[in-house]
Amino acid sequence: MRRRGSFKPLAAALLSLALLLGTALAARAAMPEVKVSPELVEIGAFFQGAEITVSGEIPPGAEAVVEVLGPEATEHLMRKGRRGGLWMNVGEVEVRTAPSLYLARATDPRLLSHQAPEARFGFAALKRRLAAAGGTATPAELDEFLKLKESEDLYRILPQPLEAAAAGGSRLVKAAFRLPTQVKPGTYRVCLSVLEAGRVSGRKCAGLKVAMVGFPALSAALAYEHGVLYGILAVIIAMVTGLVMGYLFRGGGGH
Amino acid sequence: MLGTLYLPIAGNGVNIFLLLGLGGVVGFLSGLFGVGGGFLMTPLLIMAGIPSTVAAASDSNQIVAASASGSYAHWRMGNVDLKMGLFLLVGGVAGGTLGVQLIKVLRALGNADFVIKITYVVMLGLIGSYMFVESLQSLRGKVAHPTRREEPPRPSLYARMVQALPWPMRFEKSGVTLSPLMPLILGGFVGVLAAIMGVGGGFIMVPVMVYLLRMPMHVVVGTSLFQILFTCINVTIMQAASNHTVDLILALILLLGSTLGAQFGARLSRRLKADQLKILLASIVLLVMVQILVGLVLAPHLMLGYKGGH
Repeated sequence: MRRRGSFKPLAAALLSLALLLGTALAARAAMPEVKVSPELVEIGAFFQGAEITVSGEIPPGAEAVVEVLGPEATEHLMRKGRRGGLWMNVGEVEVRTAPSLYLARATDPRLLSHQAPEARFGFAALKRRLAAAGGTATPAELDEFLKLKESEDLYRILPQPLEAAAAGGSRLVKAAFRLPTQVKPGTYRVCLSVLEAGRVSGRKCAGLKVAMVGFPALSAALAYEHGVLYGILAVIIAMVTGLVMGYLFRGGGGH
Repeated sequence: MLGTLYLPIAGNGVNIFLLLGLGGVVGFLSGLFGVGGGFLMTPLLIMAGIPSTVAAASDSNQIVAASASGSYAHWRMGNVDLKMGLFLLVGGVAGGTLGVQLIKVLRALGNADFVIKITYVVMLGLIGSYMFVESLQSLRGKVAHPTRREEPPRPSLYARMVQALPWPMRFEKSGVTLSPLMPLILGGFVGVLAAIMGVGGGFIMVPVMVYLLRMPMHVVVGTSLFQILFTCINVTIMQAASNHTVDLILALILLLGSTLGAQFGARLSRRLKADQLKILLASIVLLVMVQILVGLVLAPHLMLGYKGGH
């Protein structure tokens, strides 16, 4: 009696586990795959920005959002105000976990619109994340922060809809993003989110590395790791160039 | 874009021809007036997309080249008063150190920016207006009295104060006899202002030499460049060591343009009359003052800006 009684809960537990595994596997099957090309962006002496291509498969009828996110850092800013009729910096503002770059594109641009209530993507969602991270910025100042980044082309919502083409049983989403020249070295995330029936059904991110190479890399390494030596070298090079130019002009006459 | 070069410390790509042009124009003014040009170059670089801290520090580095070239050109012409320059430099370094501490205190009190902006407007306004009016009067006066000296008559109270100072010393190159305390104190005063304003101080030093030390304009230009050279060597090394804000590539391009410009400026300075030089510098100083004033009065486009520089 006792053994038969203990079998029922065990069977129920096993059934629940199988159900959970099945759900997890089904969810995994719905997760989009995302590819970034190239995976490494090199900043050389003549870097003029770079174009990256992001591609991924989404289920038929689903919407997609692609976001390119730079490394997060705390930004220190100055608040402007009017004192005695003159505009000037009047206080410090700290914005935490701000991505160095935020680019976004969607199959339906309304998903990224500022006005969308409870928006999960775009500036509205980014602002909510920044507000939740703490810092000292008011909501109005966060709006100004987004405008500041937008003015530098570092935060952008691309208005062109993502194009999705049929590929077998699913749809292939492909998008190009232009990284501006002021893009910082670091590890970036390129994320593809899938929305089905208005809900996010999957999100997958791929890494994108941005690194300095050649002379810029050498120069930056010297400047950050051997500051004094770099300063002395900068002075010597400047003085020598100045004096050489002065010497070259000596024969020119005219005074 | 053709000619774009990546600047690793500034973290941005900028057109090489734009930088060469900026360097050339500012270098020309540097050679012409004996000013470092920091008060012009830094805002121009910020407008070209360079972060303000990198703009100011890299500008100091390019001024090293421009002032080395200009100092050399003026040295050959016998326009550098080494003795006066050294006294001004000692005073300037002491004043600069005091000014940096003053800014730290003001920043802690939260009104550093107000003091900096107001100092800019007041100093540029006072110097520019005085130089402009004085040079204009002198130019007009010369028509009636072509044989008179270029310098205006000194105020008697000021002259008495200068004469009352101890240890009078002859400065041969400048043709003046005064106490070494004068260049030390005035150098210190310029150093404090330069530290507050974050510039080399050439545009304050030049009027100080002309009007308060009574030095001839051509010796003023050479001596000012000599003094600026050492100030900017110090600033470049300090900024590179503590803030990592010196962009050598940016400075190299600017200095190529500025050393060329400085040579032409130094030659033209010999051809122009002292009052013509003064009135030109006064006009530029007043223009910069008006630009800063407009920026203070008009509501900014964005209510937030990056911290750094000023």
